[in-house]
Amino acid sequence: MFSARELERYKRQMMLFGEEGQERLKNAHIFIAGAGGLGSPISIYLAVAGVGTITIVDMDVVDQSNLNRQILHSDRDVGRKKIASAEEKLRELNPDITVNAIDVKIEESNVADLIGKADGIVDAMDNYPTRYLLNDVAIAKEIPLFHGGIRGFYGQATTIIPGITPCLKCIFPKAPPKEVFPVVGVTPGIIGTIQANEVIKYLLDSGELLTNRLFIWDGMEAHAEELCVERNPACEACSGMTPTKTPARKKK
Amino acid sequence: MQWHDPDKNPREEEEMTVKIRFFARFRELLGTDIVTEVAPGTMFTHLITTTARKNPEGYAAIFDDKGTFHEFVILMKNGKRIEIADAAETPVADGDEIAVFPPVAGG
Repeated sequence: MFSARELERYKRQMMLFGEEGQERLKNAHIFIAGAGGLGSPISIYLAVAGVGTITIVDMDVVDQSNLNRQILHSDRDVGRKKIASAEEKLRELNPDITVNAIDVKIEESNVADLIGKADGIVDAMDNYPTRYLLNDVAIAKEIPLFHGGIRGFYGQATTIIPGITPCLKCIFPKAPPKEVFPVVGVTPGIIGTIQANEVIKYLLDSGELLTNRLFIWDGMEAHAEELCVERNPACEACSGMTPTKTPARKKK
Repeated sequence: MQWHDPDKNPREEEEMTVKIRFFARFRELLGTDIVTEVAPGTMFTHLITTTARKNPEGYAAIFDDKGTFHEFVILMKNGKRIEIADAAETPVADGDEIAVFPPVAGG
């Protein structure tokens, strides 16, 4: 049930999907890997939409050079742990949700436990090795992975439903080299918002997800397009996998 | 009055063009929607090599110093994935649309 404050807070979106839809958001637990450029808009929009439990994980400290894009953090947060300012900001935005902010490096040894019983994983990482760990857990737990990546004015996003759509390794089998990437804040703003939008649709079980499609954004041309992507039958991560359980969102 | 050589198939004289689409970093360095004429029998790798050579930085972004695609590069022809290992033997044909892109990694 919702408090009077919640009913008022969510009034304009319940015009879209009713109290039942809002209940779905409230009952959901979403795991966000990263509190940086992508993690900022993702967590902010999921928090204000009323996703009931948000776990957000990051190991970094806020650096002045983060502030052109990482809008979870403010100038006064420089030198603080990212998860401290993330938690504070998200609680300020919406005190009616639960925020678990965890200061840890996501590794093979802890990733499955960190994700726990979350209903979905949002990829807000800045490197492929960690993304592949998220991909493996998404496959093992049969929960969706909402992928996003950015560089400069360019971005990409896709929604992965293990066993049904290509997984991250089907699409990108090899990691590109690590680099200090150039970026302007609007790019993760755009891609992160698309990822958050995907999460909301998934939880509401409505609309068309960005599945089997790689969304590609070119901010310089103000042009978006998509490439069809397919499962790789020889994929080292998901080949042979058929969805044996009902997809997570149908369990509700 | 035009002469036609009866031994020559007139279709062979037609231009064969393909469109190359680069994305993200590759696009910054090499542009995109490059419509280029190709000879019959041109292979995927050869086409991209020739096109990328116009900018050494663009070439280095896509190929290693042995002239092989970097292992992370994604290749597509008409929306279908082409494996790097097969690209050297994959011919391109008139009207093909080629896509070459890197995984975008930042977050």
